[in-house]
Amino acid sequence: MHGTDSVRPAAGDISDTIVRVEGLSKRYGRTVALDGVSLAIKPNELFALLGPNGAGKTTLIHILCTILAPDSGTVTLAGFDVVRQPRKARRQLGVVFQEPSVDDRLTVFENLNFHGLVYQVPAAVRRKRIDELLALVELENWRHALVRSLSAGMKRRVEIARALIHDSAVLILDEPTSGLDAQSRERIWAYLMQLRRERALTIIVTTHYIEEVEGCDQICVIDRGRILAIDTPAALKAAHGRELIRVIPDDAAAADEIRAAYPAAITGSDGAIVIEADDDAVAGTFLKQFGGRVRRLSIDSPSLESVFLSLTGRELRDQPAGKRERTHAFGRRGGEHTK
Amino acid sequence: MGQLGALYAIWLREVKRALRDRGQLVGGLSRPILWVILLGIGLNPYFRGEVYGETRFVIPYTYLQFIFPAVIVLNILYTSVQSAVSVIWDREFGFLREILVSPMPRSLILFGKVLGGATVAMVHGSLVLALARFADVSLAWEDVLHGLGLMFLLSFAMTCFGVIIANHIRSFEGFGVFSNAVILPLYFTSSSVFPLDPALTRAQALVVYPEWLVVLVEINPLTYAVDALRGTFIHFHQFSPMLGPIVIVAMAVGFFIVALFNFRRS
Repeated sequence: MHGTDSVRPAAGDISDTIVRVEGLSKRYGRTVALDGVSLAIKPNELFALLGPNGAGKTTLIHILCTILAPDSGTVTLAGFDVVRQPRKARRQLGVVFQEPSVDDRLTVFENLNFHGLVYQVPAAVRRKRIDELLALVELENWRHALVRSLSAGMKRRVEIARALIHDSAVLILDEPTSGLDAQSRERIWAYLMQLRRERALTIIVTTHYIEEVEGCDQICVIDRGRILAIDTPAALKAAHGRELIRVIPDDAAAADEIRAAYPAAITGSDGAIVIEADDDAVAGTFLKQFGGRVRRLSIDSPSLESVFLSLTGRELRDQPAGKRERTHAFGRRGGEHTK
Repeated sequence: MGQLGALYAIWLREVKRALRDRGQLVGGLSRPILWVILLGIGLNPYFRGEVYGETRFVIPYTYLQFIFPAVIVLNILYTSVQSAVSVIWDREFGFLREILVSPMPRSLILFGKVLGGATVAMVHGSLVLALARFADVSLAWEDVLHGLGLMFLLSFAMTCFGVIIANHIRSFEGFGVFSNAVILPLYFTSSSVFPLDPALTRAQALVVYPEWLVVLVEINPLTYAVDALRGTFIHFHQFSPMLGPIVIVAMAVGFFIVALFNFRRS
């Protein structure tokens, strides 16, 4: 079932762009979630949306998935307008939501089979694809296990398999690795890379883990509802990536002097003073001036972290749980008659 | 196939989930036992009070027989509302999204969900039938079939009703709230545990009961559903025999339309 062999319904011209977003805006009351976002994604690209919590990533994803209507702007997915032709657009789409959306009380197979039935995949094809996809995410042995007995990482893998059962052209994953341990995160990315190699599939993935997006084709940095940059990882690093000098001074007096000398310096998430080095000379100058009064100093070579910092003026960082997360936690604890 | 298969998938999921929920099954079994065996047998002697050798009530049935059809309705109510509560969780945090991004039309999603909930509620309702011999109710085949039909329609209506409530609830406070604020008040005012004596005129009924209670019983549509099941299982009607089935069908259609309207909007 390689995507290339399958016949997809005729759509508009998707030869160069499979997802096109133009002038997209959405506000919730007085909060602006998306502010005139435009982007284009080529077929078979691995496209990453990178930004902190609350940047507007999930809003953008929900509009792409046709479950949220934009205030203005258009989105076409495989040639279908998501507002005017939502059901045709949905057929092209596989989605892995931020919050787990597998049914805990069904088995792995039942969850996948349910999806196949709902997307009207013929029985024989359905069985074949379930086998293939379970093999892909290495869950063959868990086929008849109840989903509630699976770990968070395994549930995510079930969801990835599920999103592909109807041979979707575009796979959207909203924070697929959030809340998972390092090993599970690595595995999820390994599957995504494998999918990209093996089939014709456009993958859109959001994350706030900056180290994850290195292997993507395009990275879109988004913050406060606006796109700050879209480019390849290498180009972004070349354009915005600067060496970062992280300093922990000896005492408060030294800290004040350093801040006076480098007014553009910001405070890092660990409390260090972070100075952007525009050229190689900065480090030398700094050491000459403050070398004796620094407890610890490190120099980070250009990375996506520094790209994000230079684009947004702050570091990516986790934020406290909102009301929604707390309610969700209630449900996960077992709530009453919830799962 | 096609859309029908999708409908089947949603129905099957609801049924499987219910079968795997031990708590729900225990409730579905213990509730009728409590109501029929304990309350029914306990109150049985006091139901037909005799004053100086005269029977005060003209209802020729024991309390157990009288309450038996109402307990079926109670079991249906609980199960329907419970399955509708799962809509809140499905919607807010998970599974409903998975269905909403599928090419299935909204109306079919709701229909499948309600059919599944109604099936489970009807099964829970028919669990009560197993207690028929303790309640001294003799079941004829045609009565059972007729009753199952009414029970399914009522389950369908009540599941839609539950979905409507669920749609207006933004934060979830637990099932206890539903039980005490919705199910039991509806149940107690449906002439389920006490009769409005049909031999009495309205004026006489108002002497026996305060007016607000009589009004509540009369405007509660469940009153007529209980009456329809009573008519089927013990052949006793407090109201016109046609009224019950008409009200049940009207509720099923009306609540489904309102539920669909709500569901499309959310």
